[in-house]
Amino acid sequence: MPLYLCNAAKGAISDAAKPKIAADITRIHCAVTGAPAQFVHAFFVEEDAAPPLDGKSAVLFGSIRGGRSDAQKDQIISEMRKSIQTHAGLDLEDIGMLTTDVPASWAFEGGEVMPEPGEEAEWLARHQRATAAE
Amino acid sequence: MISCTCIVQAGQVSAEMEATLRTNLSAFAERAFGEPAQINWRAIPERSGFTAAKPSTSSIISMTANKPIAQPERADLLKEMCALWVRETHRSLDEVVGVISDPQT
Repeated sequence: MPLYLCNAAKGAISDAAKPKIAADITRIHCAVTGAPAQFVHAFFVEEDAAPPLDGKSAVLFGSIRGGRSDAQKDQIISEMRKSIQTHAGLDLEDIGMLTTDVPASWAFEGGEVMPEPGEEAEWLARHQRATAAE
Repeated sequence: MISCTCIVQAGQVSAEMEATLRTNLSAFAERAFGEPAQINWRAIPERSGFTAAKPSTSSIISMTANKPIAQPERADLLKEMCALWVRETHRSLDEVVGVISDPQT
């Protein structure tokens, strides 16, 4: 978590563009929120039911931990849409994006309940100690 | 029915393993919430899944409970749900993301 799921019309996002967009999604999310890259999942599907395309060529849906400000979410949406525009060659108006907040306490990753925003360093240190002890 | 979405990387889970996971997840939902799971299985096409900007081996299991859950119980259920996934797939806990949501209000 976060999970960024991108649904696109068939062929709208090439296989060559996907790793570039995924790299941007990871970079943008980490830069805006301070989250570690290992938490960031970016998955691409085509002509799927969700998120609905609603006439767009691509729609990116971000399930992110709750606690981010509206300004942070606006920045994420703006920069990620531009990344898709750049790498997929789509018009900005043809790219939709929305986010939803998921309480950190509802998610489990790496064998532990996810940390609240801002508590990642302590979580990672504890996780690394647990991994080293195995 | 308890809504459950499993997102896996294509080719990572065999048809036989998928059937076992579906059975085990539904049994888990029955134990935890008193109802079987209705499972939406989604496979991410090859070269289309990335974690930390690298090709992903991660799976996401997301279940929506039929009642609000207190956090200690949720943590136990998340641990059990992810453990059953790891036991069957032989993946590590670092490759599994579990989510148990409260029902939408």
